Amino acid sequence: MHPNLAYACLTQFCENGLGDREAVQWIQSDLTETHLSYQCFEIESNRIANLLRGLGIQRGEVVSIFLPRSPILISSFFSVLKLEAISCILFSTLGEEALYDRLENSASKVIITRKSLLHKLLPLKEKLPELKAIVVMDIDDHVDEFVLSMKKLSSTAVETFAFEPLVEEETPAFLQYTSGSTGKPKAALHVHGALPDMLQSFQEVMQLQADDQYWCTADPAWITGLVYGIIAPFASKTRQVQYAGGYNVANWLTILSKHEVNVWYTAPTALRMLMQENEDKFIQYTFPKLRRVYSVGEPLNPEVYAWGKKKFQTEIFDTWFQSETGSILVANKPGLQVKPGSMGVPRKGVEIIICDEQFKPVPTGIQGYLCVRSGWRSMFRAYYHKEQEYNDKFHGDLYFTGDLAKKDDDGYVWYISRADDVINTAGHLLGPFEVESALLEIGEIGDVAVIGVHDPLLHEKVIAFVTLKNGCLWSKGLELKCRLHVQNKVSSTAIPAEFHLVERIPKNQSGKILRRVLKAWYEGKDPGDLSTME
Amino acid sequence: MDIKERLTNVFQQVFDDSTIELTPDLTADDVDGWDSLSHVNLLIAVEMEFGIEFKQSEIQSFANVGELMQSIESKLASR
Repeated sequence: MHPNLAYACLTQFCENGLGDREAVQWIQSDLTETHLSYQCFEIESNRIANLLRGLGIQRGEVVSIFLPRSPILISSFFSVLKLEAISCILFSTLGEEALYDRLENSASKVIITRKSLLHKLLPLKEKLPELKAIVVMDIDDHVDEFVLSMKKLSSTAVETFAFEPLVEEETPAFLQYTSGSTGKPKAALHVHGALPDMLQSFQEVMQLQADDQYWCTADPAWITGLVYGIIAPFASKTRQVQYAGGYNVANWLTILSKHEVNVWYTAPTALRMLMQENEDKFIQYTFPKLRRVYSVGEPLNPEVYAWGKKKFQTEIFDTWFQSETGSILVANKPGLQVKPGSMGVPRKGVEIIICDEQFKPVPTGIQGYLCVRSGWRSMFRAYYHKEQEYNDKFHGDLYFTGDLAKKDDDGYVWYISRADDVINTAGHLLGPFEVESALLEIGEIGDVAVIGVHDPLLHEKVIAFVTLKNGCLWSKGLELKCRLHVQNKVSSTAIPAEFHLVERIPKNQSGKILRRVLKAWYEGKDPGDLSTME
Repeated sequence: MDIKERLTNVFQQVFDDSTIELTPDLTADDVDGWDSLSHVNLLIAVEMEFGIEFKQSEIQSFANVGELMQSIESKLASR
């Protein structure tokens, strides 16, 4: 048996007299602050657990949380865990189709959201037969029998909720959606028994001291924001700030400086955005308490590393993991020499193997497929309702990450690129299929292919190649129509940075898009063997 | 229609939300989906609606809707 994640993160502290301890210093986008204790989250999550039980939510059923980062999102997450149901936190920037794919695949029974996001959900109602209710956090009254007010439901819900503190290690806890190079997004299923790995990695890599102030900038819909912004810091009683807003240079620097952040976990794209700011934006800020900066999501280029180290006067440690791995597996960490541009070394107990196409290890210094020996406890247990796709990720006991990398003589791992067509834009993995499907819905578009190419800010940017139907003309208006359609159907991260009008999309004889040819065209390189082209 | 009404229509179209109401102090943090990537779409739509152009340096320079409206008014006046 194993502690329920909600028990380990909240309830145990309240039972042991630590309920008044601050769990999060919450900072709004106008920089107003609220101090939230463990007891606050315990009571709120109990209320929500009671109302979800009242709606009939059972063990193992999925509750989706479609909210921007907020205290109520955190309470909702814990409430679902207390019911031993499965939480699925969704990016609030997702568009209708991306939402539908996830809600349909997860067979979500209830969605917790807010009023301003309802317009994306209501059109999907008829297509989601499993969905019992949408619970809206900020309306006073129920709209109908389906769209319900959280305030009204919780006004009669009690502040206590009895649940078993121990669960089977393999009890499902949460889903984390990620994209593949083909097909629809897949949900990595994680279990309550993942906690020891999450905590061990947090301690081994972050090495926080007792009174350190910690800030993880990642959205909780991202594995980093959930594991290292909520689960690990809550369970380890780490002092932390959380900021409700998006990237804002003045607010971010104010938080780092005024709130005396000691350890900061962010993304290379965020550091690159800061690097592009005018020097005068930094003048009024100093960061004497900032002891370490960590990054995750995409490779940290050596020039950004050097800029950040100088600007913040501290070391920067890049780390690597995936939605599927559930915890950091490779990291630069204190006590080891940082090699700029490297992912670092495997965490204790983690075996990284660089393989060839036959899954045989390749010699040091040779590029190959980044694989991990199965057995770490935070490993995903399934792609939810996609058994074949899960099995395809393994060869014996080797997990195939989809990344290309190499190892050096000192055991450091160096990221090369994705081994497939997945686009890593600002740390978000994006399948070209999702963008192509959305663009093909536009009447004027005849055919489309999407690739990722290098970008100095986002690591990779999305490029769309389109053909038009007879009689249609490309225009600024049509480009805007395409951009808005992708934004509102998929997500803002999926918006192509560039559109290129072409006569035809290169495909092989079985109709598969030859993305390497498009990439070569774009980069002005030789496209190589074209014998299979249609 | 005045500038505010036309701009409200643009916001509602770009963010696919007919409930958006503009106020001068409205910021990206107040509108779901308004991030640095969708902001580019917003400015393209504003350019097309008002027949104006923003310089590269202006794109990320507006702190709120009020500043964006002032910029539109200024560009329209100098045409």
